[in-house]
Amino acid sequence: MTVAMEEPKLDIERHIKYWQRCLKTLLPTQYTSTDSNRMMLGFFILSALDLLGTGADTFPEKDRRNIRDWILKCQHPNGGFCGSPNHRFPDAYYVDVGHGRQQMDPANLPATFFAILSLSFVGTLEQVRRDDCLKWLKTLQRDDGSFGELVTQDGAIEGGRDMRYCYIAAGVRWMLKGDTPPIGEDREGDIDLEKLVDHVRSGQTYDGGISESFQHEPHAGYTCCAISTLSIIHRLPISSLSGAEAPGLTNIPETIRWLVSRQVGYTEEGEEDEAETKTPARPVLQGVYENEPLVPGLSLQDVDFVGFNGRCNKSVDTCYAYWVTASLDMLGQDRAQLLNIKAARRFLLEQTQHRIGGFGKAPGNPPDIYHSYLGLAALAIMKEPGLKPFDSALCVGAQQKEMMELLREAALSR
Amino acid sequence: MGKYEGDPEWDDVVPIPQDDGEGALAQIAYTDEYAEAMGYLRAVMAAKEYSQRVLDLTEHIISMNAAHYTVWLYRASTIFALNADISQELNWINEVALDNQKNYQIWHHRQLLLDHLYPGISSDSAALQDLTESEIEFMTQMFDEDAKNYHVWSYRQYFVRKLNLFNDAELKSIETLLRTDIRNNSAWSHRFYVVFSDPKHSTSGSRATEHDPRIPDEIIDREIEFSKAATFEAPQNQSPWNYLRGVLRKGGRKLSSQECFANEFVKIPEDGEEDIRSSHALDFLADVWAEEGKTEKADEALRLLGDKYDRIRKNYWDWRRGMLKEDEVTKAVEKVELGQ
Repeated sequence: MTVAMEEPKLDIERHIKYWQRCLKTLLPTQYTSTDSNRMMLGFFILSALDLLGTGADTFPEKDRRNIRDWILKCQHPNGGFCGSPNHRFPDAYYVDVGHGRQQMDPANLPATFFAILSLSFVGTLEQVRRDDCLKWLKTLQRDDGSFGELVTQDGAIEGGRDMRYCYIAAGVRWMLKGDTPPIGEDREGDIDLEKLVDHVRSGQTYDGGISESFQHEPHAGYTCCAISTLSIIHRLPISSLSGAEAPGLTNIPETIRWLVSRQVGYTEEGEEDEAETKTPARPVLQGVYENEPLVPGLSLQDVDFVGFNGRCNKSVDTCYAYWVTASLDMLGQDRAQLLNIKAARRFLLEQTQHRIGGFGKAPGNPPDIYHSYLGLAALAIMKEPGLKPFDSALCVGAQQKEMMELLREAALSR
Repeated sequence: MGKYEGDPEWDDVVPIPQDDGEGALAQIAYTDEYAEAMGYLRAVMAAKEYSQRVLDLTEHIISMNAAHYTVWLYRASTIFALNADISQELNWINEVALDNQKNYQIWHHRQLLLDHLYPGISSDSAALQDLTESEIEFMTQMFDEDAKNYHVWSYRQYFVRKLNLFNDAELKSIETLLRTDIRNNSAWSHRFYVVFSDPKHSTSGSRATEHDPRIPDEIIDREIEFSKAATFEAPQNQSPWNYLRGVLRKGGRKLSSQECFANEFVKIPEDGEEDIRSSHALDFLADVWAEEGKTEKADEALRLLGDKYDRIRKNYWDWRRGMLKEDEVTKAVEKVELGQ
């Protein structure tokens, strides 16, 4: 069919306005419940502006310096970063009074990942306390290979045993060159990579997805974090450096089946999720509308919108467009093309893109920083015109990843 | 004047204000109430104070920022230091959890409380019974709000492991949830866990994706029948189809052992219109036929999926068709190389 259908556009200008507002004005009070994740929100703001071509490289030097100072002020004296200045005490409180340096409010793993990434937009990594950070990172790993998000003064590792922290640990290790330390550096200080791979592998579920840890329900977010982990440490079956190492995924075709199954046909009449209804089954097939005859040979054109859910039989949500697309993108070149990109793009642009810029979680929702970034990132992986190419493993623009490669070398050779 | 500043009970505490500086990212319009309470929290944490007023303060902060990752830990430390009543704390977080459906920290806190409580009652069967009943009752209440709440299911799994609840009562409670919603994939996943990680008849450490020779045949048969019954109820529900594949793999059985069953939903006559009642059945049969070397039939099933019955995934089904051909070529090459 060659009907010249008007395709929706990404409203670049409005998105830039949205993100500049996030950068320059106070976030509304409702964000108080995310106060401990401000480092993450800050990263989303800097990276979104970068994807839109108006990143920190265009800011006045004074602004760049202030942002850099703010991030570094959240660095924990014992290594790692805090999630927000609300967790960072004045320096005097950390002083050793005889039982080792005080922990106070401990450093946080996700905050550390986002702080280092954010620094790469506004300066160098030279002021990151690399050795302390890598030493601290090792203390976050449990015997089963998983990572916690923080470690308390008495050594207890706290936080869920899930794939997010595995991913973030692998990312921090890579950004600080813990993976390829300088000659002469003690390898004993590294995390246990084999245990990490084993933990990720044991998170695979019977239906091809990946769960937070063994034998729980698979989830697109955890699946993506698991694949990102393996991608960063070169343990995807497609990226293994040698055949000797055990791959972290055992059945890629099953994982791909699970990922493409996250696509859900969406209709505007509020029937987005036929599967979520609790009435007994109707003889309606996914992807086929009730009111349309089942004529053979019908093309894809008749499906207007495809959203993504995070788990089988759940509702669609903007962020899963990212988690699914990024997962496939890492599983091989053009794997994201296995998705119904055209209808997925239309869903994001016409259903969850907001008229003031940004994206909401679901159709009709107001935009928020998390969904706005992941909506933009999903479109970047889909090669949306006007957005910079994307690196799914590090969750930043591809150019920024290259920049990070330079910065991590430079920080070591200072 | 703030709530704490004006309270004589807090006279002795000097709050530690937050210093955001100039280049702050993601700065939030804090209420004065929140900013003040956080200042007092930092002060009591610095002084390592564990007291009743700290419990009140942490409760206040949690009501404004339930995702604060250390206020919960500090509250737990305070509870343990004061030797406070754990069941009273459990009752309190029941309320908080019901008001904060999406919060993870609450469930971590609950695990800490259970881990603390458990050693003291592990040999008291009446106390364990009470705990089991009250916890299951609370989770049921949470499931009434959202039967797919990920945090509650994670906790459920922890609880089953902790109290060794791999039993009929647990399977029955899953069946109750599935009777309400046969598409509740969280319940399906939990069933897989309870059945195939039961220490009585599974190999310790066996992964979800592996054949486990220790699982008795009658359990494999029972689970196959369970998924089949659910499929007859809702053929287009993917959960039991996925479950069936998982069970067959656990049992080391071929997909083709269920060809007849899948054919209940797929009729493709030599001539005339086909009758398809489930795209998942067609997908299942495509794999069965590929397994049996019936490439043409498998290809036709995949074509029907892409062109007609699951059009939103056409690119995927086309890719599968390509894979099928590649497999065929590989097998043909192998045959030639073996001189067959």
